[in-house]
Amino acid sequence: MKQYFPLIRGAFLYTLLTGATVLMSFPLFWMISSSLKTIQETNSPGIVWIPAQPTLEAYINIFNNSDFLRSYFNSVFYVTLAMAGTLISIAAVAYAFSRIEWPGRNVVFFLMLSTMMIPAQALIVPQYVFFNKLGWIGTFNPIIIPGYFAGGAAMIFLLRQSMAQIPKELDESAFVDGANHIQIWWEIVLPLVKAPLATIATFLFVGLWNNLLTPLMYLQTIDLYTLPVYVSTLYNINQTVQPWPTIMTAAVLTTAPLIVVFFIAQRYILESVVVSGLKG
Amino acid sequence: MPTNPYLNVLLMALFTVIFIIACSYGLGSVARWIVRKRGGSPKNQENTFAGYFFAAPWITGFLIFVLVPLAFSLYWSFTDYRVTSSAPPNWKGFENYQTILFNDAGFRASIINTLYLTVIGLPLQMGVALFLAVLLNQKMKGEKIFRMAFYLPVILGFNTAVLLCWRLMLNTGTGIINQIIRSLSNAFTPISYLNRTVIYVQEIITGFFLGLNTGKYNLLMNILEAGFPADNRVPLWVQSPLWTKMSVIMLMVWGCGAMMLIFLAGLNNIPKELHEAAEVDGATGWQKFWKISFPLLTPYIFYNLVVGLIASLQIFEPIFVLYRDNQPIISSTISMVYYLWQKTFSHFEIGYGSAISWVILVIILIVTVIQFRLQDRWVTYDIY
Repeated sequence: MKQYFPLIRGAFLYTLLTGATVLMSFPLFWMISSSLKTIQETNSPGIVWIPAQPTLEAYINIFNNSDFLRSYFNSVFYVTLAMAGTLISIAAVAYAFSRIEWPGRNVVFFLMLSTMMIPAQALIVPQYVFFNKLGWIGTFNPIIIPGYFAGGAAMIFLLRQSMAQIPKELDESAFVDGANHIQIWWEIVLPLVKAPLATIATFLFVGLWNNLLTPLMYLQTIDLYTLPVYVSTLYNINQTVQPWPTIMTAAVLTTAPLIVVFFIAQRYILESVVVSGLKG
Repeated sequence: MPTNPYLNVLLMALFTVIFIIACSYGLGSVARWIVRKRGGSPKNQENTFAGYFFAAPWITGFLIFVLVPLAFSLYWSFTDYRVTSSAPPNWKGFENYQTILFNDAGFRASIINTLYLTVIGLPLQMGVALFLAVLLNQKMKGEKIFRMAFYLPVILGFNTAVLLCWRLMLNTGTGIINQIIRSLSNAFTPISYLNRTVIYVQEIITGFFLGLNTGKYNLLMNILEAGFPADNRVPLWVQSPLWTKMSVIMLMVWGCGAMMLIFLAGLNNIPKELHEAAEVDGATGWQKFWKISFPLLTPYIFYNLVVGLIASLQIFEPIFVLYRDNQPIISSTISMVYYLWQKTFSHFEIGYGSAISWVILVIILIVTVIQFRLQDRWVTYDIY
């Protein structure tokens, strides 16, 4: 009898793990399944697990919907532009905190860490007034430009920790060869921290792609809407019948890039989160 | 300025890059000049220039986007400033703060809701996270796949599209969750009793919290008078003020992957020798968990508690997507940040909104300080 215990225990554990996986991924399954249904099926009182006759009608409709396509382009555009500036500036600041000795470094570093305590939302009111004075309401500027100033203390910290582990001799020998700081930063240090950079890029991408609050505040017209803002307008409580297949199609297309990026980068993310406790 | 929005922001980005590089040169040069005046070595001067040059993006950003806005909002919080009027703000002293703390039903509701999420939601979320972490920690084959599946909700998290999918699933009449509950209850009597017990307990607790909010306990009395729910009852997820917070808690539990990874890190850090020694002494798995793993996990529980509590103050997207248009029930679920957004951007009362931001900021600071003070009473750090 005793020799069967590990087997029973294994079967039990796998059952639990599989059950949990099914529950956790159920919303995704339901999203895809609903996007292939007809409106009648999504609003029917019976359970339709998988539509008997899947229809691509909602997909065809949404690819003819110019508002949706424009908001998709807006999201890709804004995320790309914001990510480029944010990543480069974060990499520069992390270099200053890890590879150079300068007077005042510890004070500035401590200041930077203490800004992690300030919730971003405490700043939305004065920032709104500031952007309003600049005439930036109704433009992409407020959701892109602030990132260029190395927004994200936690990410600077994560990258600094990785850069600090690179042996100092590398820079020193490069200095002897006549390289300057910009060359050392770009050609020696950055290639050595590719994994943490990938992690940061993923978190940045996810955060920007999912961002609802600031686009909602600043992008006042439908031609500027990013995906989260536009998709939220598809559901309208005043409609008697919600166009669920359309909404779920939009949802599938919105989440697809997130899932692709996650599968590519999961190795880096899951490891670095375990190491640093950084939250997405 | 060109009217094309894309070209416009591209030009602005270019301008920002030039501005930042100019700031970098400026800041670096000033710092180098100071070091030279003080008689620093050439090497020292060069390092000072490089240090400030590379750190300048953060330093200028901190001044422009954090320090100056904070200072202005502190000033405005004592005034009646509105962004729509051109009149200069009038000084009001502590009036805004007095109103918020003693006379503001919406703010009071947001505090009670946060309390509910902290007392009911966080333990549930952490319990599930810990359970999943312990499961994964058994080092089974395929652990990585399960870990990915459990972490994926964190990535999808509060994306509007995913939240709308939850809206579809939580529909009271035709939603899949209630459909499943209904058919299971019809098929098995014990499940029906379990379902109704959960509904009863949940509604009594929430009724109590809603009573705390309004000061009137009518709703709680109604629930108690109605007695044990009838056998066709299902949860009224996004429909009734008694269930709105529970829906948000479901979302929190679904996104427990981040906490799970923290616990997993904690479990990995427990020395193997401790468990081996306990096994020699004849301890069962259950005993090993509660006497060894759990005490050693308390720092991680503590960390998740701090982060989770602060996160629950800031919940915005689920409330916006699930309840935005549903005026009668939205006050049963608003968070502090949602309330701040609603208050500031419906009437553009910048003075009042600034005061709310400062209250949130101070609450977060106090919570963090208290938790760090309390932690040495119950958190075990020193077994290693």
